[in-house]
Amino acid sequence: MLAIDQTACDLLVADVLGFMAKPQVSDEAFNALALRLFAHQFAHNMPFQRFCHSRGKTPRVVKDWRDIPAVPINAFKDLTLSCVAPQTCDRVFMTSGTTRGDVKGSHYHPSMAVYDASMLRNFDQHVMRGLKRVRMGILFPDEHLLPNSSLAHYLGLALASFATPDSAHYLNEEGLQIDLLCDALLDAQCAGEPFFLLGASFSFVHVMDELKARGLTFKLPTDSLLLDTGGFKGQSRDVPVEAFYQQLSATFGVSAERCLNMYGMTELSSQFYDAGNHTTASVKSGPHWIRSRLVEPLTGQAVAPGERGVLAHTDLANYNSVVTILTEDVGVMQDHGFVLLGRAQGTQAKGCSLAVDAFLKASAP
Amino acid sequence: MTASDFKAGYLPGIADADVTWHRVNMGSPDAPLRVDMPLISAGQMAALAGRIRCASQAHLKTMQVSEIVRVLDVATARLLDQGDVYRQALERLLPLATGFASEMVRLNLNAYLHTFRALQLQRFVVEDFPNPKLLDEFQPRVKGGWSKAYGPDLLLHVWAGNVPALSLWSFVSGLLVKAGSIGKVSSAEPLFASLYARLLVDIEPRWSDCFAVVWWPSGGASHAEQHAFGLADVVTAYGGNAALQAMQANVPVTTRFLAHGHKLSFGVVSASALCAGTGPQLAHQLALDVARYDQQGCYSPHMVYVQRGGMVSPLEFAQYLTSSLAAVSHKLPQRGLSLEEAGQVSAWCNAYELEAVTNAHVTVMGGHAVWGTVVFSERSLPLCPGPLNRRVLVVAVDSLDDVAALVEQQRDFLQTAGVAASPEELLVLSDGLGRAGVTRVCALGAMTQPAAGWHHDGRFSLLDLVRMVDVEDSAERSGEQFTRYEI
Repeated sequence: MLAIDQTACDLLVADVLGFMAKPQVSDEAFNALALRLFAHQFAHNMPFQRFCHSRGKTPRVVKDWRDIPAVPINAFKDLTLSCVAPQTCDRVFMTSGTTRGDVKGSHYHPSMAVYDASMLRNFDQHVMRGLKRVRMGILFPDEHLLPNSSLAHYLGLALASFATPDSAHYLNEEGLQIDLLCDALLDAQCAGEPFFLLGASFSFVHVMDELKARGLTFKLPTDSLLLDTGGFKGQSRDVPVEAFYQQLSATFGVSAERCLNMYGMTELSSQFYDAGNHTTASVKSGPHWIRSRLVEPLTGQAVAPGERGVLAHTDLANYNSVVTILTEDVGVMQDHGFVLLGRAQGTQAKGCSLAVDAFLKASAP
Repeated sequence: MTASDFKAGYLPGIADADVTWHRVNMGSPDAPLRVDMPLISAGQMAALAGRIRCASQAHLKTMQVSEIVRVLDVATARLLDQGDVYRQALERLLPLATGFASEMVRLNLNAYLHTFRALQLQRFVVEDFPNPKLLDEFQPRVKGGWSKAYGPDLLLHVWAGNVPALSLWSFVSGLLVKAGSIGKVSSAEPLFASLYARLLVDIEPRWSDCFAVVWWPSGGASHAEQHAFGLADVVTAYGGNAALQAMQANVPVTTRFLAHGHKLSFGVVSASALCAGTGPQLAHQLALDVARYDQQGCYSPHMVYVQRGGMVSPLEFAQYLTSSLAAVSHKLPQRGLSLEEAGQVSAWCNAYELEAVTNAHVTVMGGHAVWGTVVFSERSLPLCPGPLNRRVLVVAVDSLDDVAALVEQQRDFLQTAGVAASPEELLVLSDGLGRAGVTRVCALGAMTQPAAGWHHDGRFSLLDLVRMVDVEDSAERSGEQFTRYEI
């Protein structure tokens, strides 16, 4: 493994930041930076290098960003995917470990400069949409409580950069602060000032349950916005998407066009947003420094247009880990983005042989 | 509704017009197959059951087993004849319905059918009934008295899965014990049993009311299923344990329930079998076992234990197996996988690929190839199921004695062990495996083709179906008092 050249590394970070700051970029520019990041990661991350060798994909042969080996997200659990020593990193974000018990994946960030720039620019464009600061309520614990949560950091960043001083977290170690939240919502409603409520999808469900029990609904002022993220994986109950947004809209008096969903992953450094959930199967899109493909999971080849596939994302903000990841999320492409269809589920064996999936289900506690 | 490509089922005494047909779209977008499944009412099911009971008493119970074998032999001969219309229909429809390659279906069908010819069927009978005449009439017992075996008047089969013609085993077993049958086909392979029933009636018109092939939607609280179970004397069912458990709850306590759950099979290769010449040959045989029906069978191997110390090392054996899998795929291509199946296979491959990055004991061969993946582990690992579709885990072991301990955790699921070992080792190894729960030991290359008269999952294919009736010696002796003449 090549010793990391700090100057070269700083230059790379500067170039990534410069790329993100541009209003738009060419395919060639995206390709060139993706390949540079791939070469950097190949040179400085031994487990990734071995993975690439096993796939027969090295910087020598990869000339197109689509050929960069997509690293399965499970690799964040099994391998140390960092170009610098993990202990020197500013932050480590960990996955929630919903799919494989208590094994958590780690995403190492040497500094937060790139992550934060990616989040802020994208959030400004897709969520703020011209507003400078707005009153926010966060339905998620803060960064001090969850220092390894990328979502806590993301929401903290939103609060610090785009929120008015009367904004607050309404979920802490004591649980949901429903009384304080109700006061804040009522306050905003009376003042006629927009209110943004952001948080984990399931926290919204809890809030709506509470409000329903109290017989409360709100009519938040124009320009208010609800932003949920995370969906319902691994949660105690599954809520149909359509019903969820209908209920959100009805409970807070915010039109479904202003109910956004953010799709993000600990393994990425950028996020995707839709343009509201007034129609089901909303289209998610990301900023110009992330590109997504749909692949056939076994061969990794791109699926035919219109076909379902598993999402692979090439995120140029992932400069220290791996630039391309393979998710377990199934999607279908649309103009300007993709529609998420959920997580790839195992399937029952068709024959009479025991299959690994059936076996895992049978042996689950 | 547009015309279907195939109407499933065989329903004696019920007109097509009186049946609700449920359309199932099978095949792929390029080669669709529209199959209509019969949904019959509870009244129709009850009438069918009554009709079959009577006919089986009149036309099956009155035949000698040898006569039944003759009819079945003609049926097998016709299915082995490329020119026969039924054979042609199977060759055309089965690949479409199941996704398996045409050549795979054709070759496996032949290998499978040849165990259903007259000679093999007689061996099948004698395996369970050393004196087959027990099925025809009371036979004297050595210690006095008489016995006769009675097949059920109504045997209900619940078939599952997409392995073509899997239904043949139990269909034929029922006929050999003179049982009237109602078979419920699976949505994944409704063709074979439907065609087989029609073929049998074509050959032996007296059997026209002796069986039926039906369907109902599986899962959930199926009233049709509950109702059908209540009508039968014996129920024989295939499927996953969860499905079987749900069925069992619907079987009346007085009805015999024979369950065939999903199984797990593996290979064992002794160092003594690993010469420079035999090593590659065995790997090829194993590759065929893996490739046949894409590992979907209960007898398909998931893992192979290879003993160290032979002329071919376990790692080399794994390499031979990889190249053999690639080679056999030209003749027997892997069927197309759904996104979900591909995801499952990919997850398995990814897990080992990532392990190989940090663990020198693991080697992945074939990568994410469509034709297969072989993972080699230098460290011994317990038996566990893989994702099917030609993915094999080859594990090195020091001694054959180690294998039984590595597989016995799966006791409830074990079935076939494909073994390559010397005569001195064979029975010692088999005894260990048998104690661990294995019910069948065969050669590599024969795993997917059980011999005629095998004990399916360690049970008796025919004996389990019958009811023995004993006329005891006391009755015979007591009868002597009532002769019209003096002794």
